[in-house]
Amino acid sequence: MFRILLRKFSEVFIFLLFIMFVSFLFIRLAPGDPVLTILNVDELSVSQEQVEAMREEMGFNDPLPVQFGSWLLDFVRLDFGTSYSTGQPVMQTLMSALPATAELTLGALLVMLLIAVPLGSLSAVYRGSWIDTLSRMLSIVGAAVPSFWLGLILIDLFGVRFGNLPTMGRDGFASLILPCVTLGLAISSVYVRLLRSSLLDSLSQEFVRSARARGLSEGRIFWLHALRHSLPPVITVFGVSLGSLIGGVVVIEVLFAYPGIGKLVVDAIRQRDYPLIQGYILIMAIVVFIVNTAVDLSYRYLNPEMKLKEKEAHR
Amino acid sequence: MILSIEELSIAGRERTIVDNVSLAVREGEFMALVGQSGSGKSLLSQSIGQLLPPNLHASGRIVFEGSNLLERTSKEMRALRGSRISYIFQDYQGAFTPFRSIGGHFDEYQKVHGEKSASVRKTKAAAALESVGLDAALLRRYPFQLSGGQLQRAAIATSLLLSPRLLIADEATTALDSVSGHRVLELLVAKQKETGCAILFITHDWRHVRRYANRLSVMKEGRIVESGGKHRILDHPQHEYTRKLIDAAPVLSRSLKSGLEEETP
Amino acid sequence: MKSMPARVRTRPSKSKKHSVQAIVAALFALLVIAASVYTFLYLKHDPTLTDLRGRLLGASTLHPLGTDHLGRDVLTRLLLGGGQTLGYSLLALGAALVIGIPFGLIAGYKRGWVDKVFMRIADGFLAFPDTIVAIVLSGLLGAGISNLVLAIVIVKWVSYARLVRSTVLSESQKDYIRIARTNGLSDARIMTKHLLPHIAGHVLVLASLDLGKIILLISSLSYIGLGAQPPTPEWGAMLNDSRPYFQSRPELMVYPGLAIVSVVLLANMLGDYLRDRFDVKKEVQP
Repeated sequence: MFRILLRKFSEVFIFLLFIMFVSFLFIRLAPGDPVLTILNVDELSVSQEQVEAMREEMGFNDPLPVQFGSWLLDFVRLDFGTSYSTGQPVMQTLMSALPATAELTLGALLVMLLIAVPLGSLSAVYRGSWIDTLSRMLSIVGAAVPSFWLGLILIDLFGVRFGNLPTMGRDGFASLILPCVTLGLAISSVYVRLLRSSLLDSLSQEFVRSARARGLSEGRIFWLHALRHSLPPVITVFGVSLGSLIGGVVVIEVLFAYPGIGKLVVDAIRQRDYPLIQGYILIMAIVVFIVNTAVDLSYRYLNPEMKLKEKEAHR
Repeated sequence: MILSIEELSIAGRERTIVDNVSLAVREGEFMALVGQSGSGKSLLSQSIGQLLPPNLHASGRIVFEGSNLLERTSKEMRALRGSRISYIFQDYQGAFTPFRSIGGHFDEYQKVHGEKSASVRKTKAAAALESVGLDAALLRRYPFQLSGGQLQRAAIATSLLLSPRLLIADEATTALDSVSGHRVLELLVAKQKETGCAILFITHDWRHVRRYANRLSVMKEGRIVESGGKHRILDHPQHEYTRKLIDAAPVLSRSLKSGLEEETP
Repeated sequence: MKSMPARVRTRPSKSKKHSVQAIVAALFALLVIAASVYTFLYLKHDPTLTDLRGRLLGASTLHPLGTDHLGRDVLTRLLLGGGQTLGYSLLALGAALVIGIPFGLIAGYKRGWVDKVFMRIADGFLAFPDTIVAIVLSGLLGAGISNLVLAIVIVKWVSYARLVRSTVLSESQKDYIRIARTNGLSDARIMTKHLLPHIAGHVLVLASLDLGKIILLISSLSYIGLGAQPPTPEWGAMLNDSRPYFQSRPELMVYPGLAIVSVVLLANMLGDYLRDRFDVKKEVQP
């Protein structure tokens, strides 16, 4: 198993290096002058000499290979530079925003589970009933609703008209409610249908009947046998849809002005704060790697066949 | 009479699949239920344990140990299933949940039926496997690691663990090769002698009927067409359909169909 | 808890469901086309002309849906925005197909080192989710709709290429391909004339299911400012503009949102219909 982890890590690492290199190139060659951003040309008046001096200091006048060399050195030393906009070290800025994003993501996933598991299960068990039809309608419509629009509506309803849930910023538990509910609702539609079809498949399997014939209760059969058997496809889809989850988090953070790394990077893009953008890419790559590995590991756990077959192959 | 099915009908929304069937199984006997596919014999057997799919409805009486099963609550049925009435199905792969070890099944099953001590559960499980000729080490294995014959024998072990009075075997050997199938049958019969349970054996293979059954019933399109002792039916079938079935069955030896000749001491 | 089905019931007839879906999809498609034609032929208001005296007006005969915060006619912007969003989405899709299909065909048909290289590249691309690539590209090249489209193409072509490749792999085993080969038909000919029609169905299904996702992606990122830039009318961007005014003019928020939902719904239903029709069971994403 360790071998697999290592292999995966090296794959990601190489890709990471590649991406970082490409972004390095772009920074040096792209339109827009970062020096102007750093010096805050919009707000302060800067003389041409100051601009030139800054440029010299930041090494932008050095030949490309030299720039790349120093960049490489920095990268190896895990020095990811200083943010142009905040003036703080990139990693520090990102890390301080990470907890907010984590809260938001986990909260949204929780909401999603609270919606998808009951709806999906009930639709499967009472197939063809009104619950099934209702959940199907909700899923179809839900898949077409953009998360930010849903967020706007919820803000209007619960933040302004009918209640006063906080709609901006991060200020205690209450400010998590609207963002998490919005995102959770937005991602749940896929999982409701998926869980339903996976459960239907599991429930029609012979082993369910055998368990029943042994006198096991319906509840036990459902939770410990059928539901668990239905998990692999759901986890697969989760791994694959990671991208849209990340995107969703970014959009929701911007919408609710929630100070997570999503909002940070969007602001960074507007200000052409390249070091920060690079740092974000790095962190995201690590996150993607971790999630994909976790997904793979969970297969091994859920499906002993895979685990044992691997052991045999290594003997 | 351990089981008495009286005027049982099973119907769906559009049609009646089992029509007014009456059947009796005596204590300790091997009763064979024969018929072609689609005759309703599987559904009949499932209705005994209230295992019918929800779109089918059973009416009539199924009297087991003195009470009508069709009137029992699901809780009562659950207590019965697996402990007093047990099943073995055709699909041995489906007898066990894929991601649980064999031992896990034994353990869960006993726990549900009230055995509180973990060590007792473990000992009983090991003993059960050994009594069907399997190594107790298989308890740690997963279903995909066992062969068809082993799985079916393990399934028998679970079914007989709590000494049921009635064992319902629905085409239990049909999917096995003849050697494994034979072993399984011998095992069933041995267990029957040991525990004195009754076996309702559903099959379409007349060789099994000839060899093991005490009595048999023939089912066609939801109805019982003939019922009675093995020798009587095999040697002197009364119904046209029974005759057709028997004639169509491959016979391996030349003697009297019911084997009566061989059996006379 | 009620006893669960021990046996799954047979499905109700599908053909009825098909015809309803087909009709709805066709109806909507007609509506969209009609709206686009109407705007092109009969464009009364300049969608980008600001008129600060006429801002935030309610519905009237001149402006059926009112005006936005800069005095521009909402209906016109809505219709044109639809053309924009749809146009860019189709562009992204088309480009991804144009790149992905040939790659998939060659990799699946020729096999050998071409295939191996392709799979390596594909795995590399697949490691990164589309949203991140979109954000990254916006970050590097600057925000803008064309970069967004580029990002989408970069990520999507891989899935089409892979789909085509696996379909080609299975079709290549079939007799009609073998016969074509032994008859001496050139590879190019086999790929275009014989294989292409067969994969068209699968690809079409995947594409139509993706269309909805792409539309949502474009509008989401435009909403946060990384996609279409002002003053271009685009539904996501319009929603962003409407935010400060939703106390006084909540409908400014409702119209673009409804528009997005409708179009995505239409696209998804079309995709479902096509999937049922071509009976593609396996990995096509739900």
